[in-house]
Amino acid sequence: MVKKVFRVPDMHCSACVMRLEGIEDALVGIKRISASYRKQQMEVEYDASHVTERQIIAAAQQLGYEAIPLL
Amino acid sequence: MTNLAVVFLTGLTTGGLSCLAVQGGLLASSVAHQAEKDAQKALGARTPVPNRVKNTTKQSAKKRKHAGTLQRPPAVVERPKRQFAWPIALFLSSKLAAYTILGLLLGWAGSVLQLTPITQAILQLTIGIFMVGTALRMFNVHPIFRSFVIEPPAFLTRYIRRTAKNSTHDIATPLFLGALTVLIPCGVTQAMMALAIGSGNPVLGAAIMFAFTLGTSPVFFTLAYLTTRIGGALEAHFLKFAAVTVLVLGIVSIDGGLNLMGSPLSLTSITDSVTSAFAEQSQQPIGATTPSADSPQAAPGNTITINVGARGYTPRMLRATAGQPVKLTLLTNETNGCTRAFVIPALDIQRVLPPTGETTIELPAQAAGTLRFTCSMGMYRGQIQFE
Repeated sequence: MVKKVFRVPDMHCSACVMRLEGIEDALVGIKRISASYRKQQMEVEYDASHVTERQIIAAAQQLGYEAIPLL
Repeated sequence: MTNLAVVFLTGLTTGGLSCLAVQGGLLASSVAHQAEKDAQKALGARTPVPNRVKNTTKQSAKKRKHAGTLQRPPAVVERPKRQFAWPIALFLSSKLAAYTILGLLLGWAGSVLQLTPITQAILQLTIGIFMVGTALRMFNVHPIFRSFVIEPPAFLTRYIRRTAKNSTHDIATPLFLGALTVLIPCGVTQAMMALAIGSGNPVLGAAIMFAFTLGTSPVFFTLAYLTTRIGGALEAHFLKFAAVTVLVLGIVSIDGGLNLMGSPLSLTSITDSVTSAFAEQSQQPIGATTPSADSPQAAPGNTITINVGARGYTPRMLRATAGQPVKLTLLTNETNGCTRAFVIPALDIQRVLPPTGETTIELPAQAAGTLRFTCSMGMYRGQIQFE
């Protein structure tokens, strides 16, 4: 399991949190997403063999958000 | 007194859009899932599922068309719009009921806290500051304001989200989801909830939440019915508009709190001082905005009389003699509203007047100066000038 934090600067309300966390149900291999409106970021725990960072970023983009991986 | 019409209008103009962002997704999920099941029935076979998509025993619901590639591709089958009206209506009805009950509880909680004028003042100030902070958060002025939000815990949002997807019942789920929205209020709703607490009255609190939620319903219904998502940029614009409303409400609340403390710093007190003797005829039928030679002078025995109307006290500006006890008579005549809760903050006097009648309050001798009086919400005020 990999834990990665993404900065999401477009989160403007708690609805965004719900939408982003919804990705955990949509993509195979995601164990848990914890998004924080206060910190403007989301922490994704996932199985790297099933899903890639790029897919996560693409999923966020589908919802209208830019996810920037924090190093 | 909070004007319910204003609350309703706030819901109509702003609430529907910002609430839709938070809660609309749930509704659309369950509605879309229903449509998908219908489509499958119509097609007579299951639509094939690509490998990448999670396919647990809990069927993944189809998100809106815009997020298509996350799940299966959008169904080509025409979704009969008529079928959506019913679950949306159920959703909104149960949401309305739930929020009205919440308003009742909030108003009751507020009434429990309403012990003295100073407590009420602090409550209103706190609520006002929260609302201003919320508005500044919505304006995205500075990251620090992001703390002015009530975020529901993650387990709750996860539960609600998954309930929306697992909808197998046509009636129960929209009703259940509608009621659950109470737990995930959006920004403007939170501001209204603050107002409900501040009203200190269960009935008024319920009325506020009812009026607001009712106001949000038409827009919510329309947008949900058309199953359109506004889109990030446009949503942000509407949020700004909603933020203005919350800001104004917050300032009014702070102002009320200051008035309740008898503070000369409230906006209304400052306005009164600045405005000249030209009477605001539209607001007050009698009297100027600052005590002048025309302001009613106390009658013999230092007696002053104030008429308590639903829209304020007349006269608002009075003069009395300093150094002598004062006999203050308050007249009500089928009066309703917060003006009946008469407060003199500086003397810690709070009296609830009968709807019709004559109430006399004996005031101790006052030094020369200004004694302010106000209604229990700090909205209607006046002053007695002791000379």
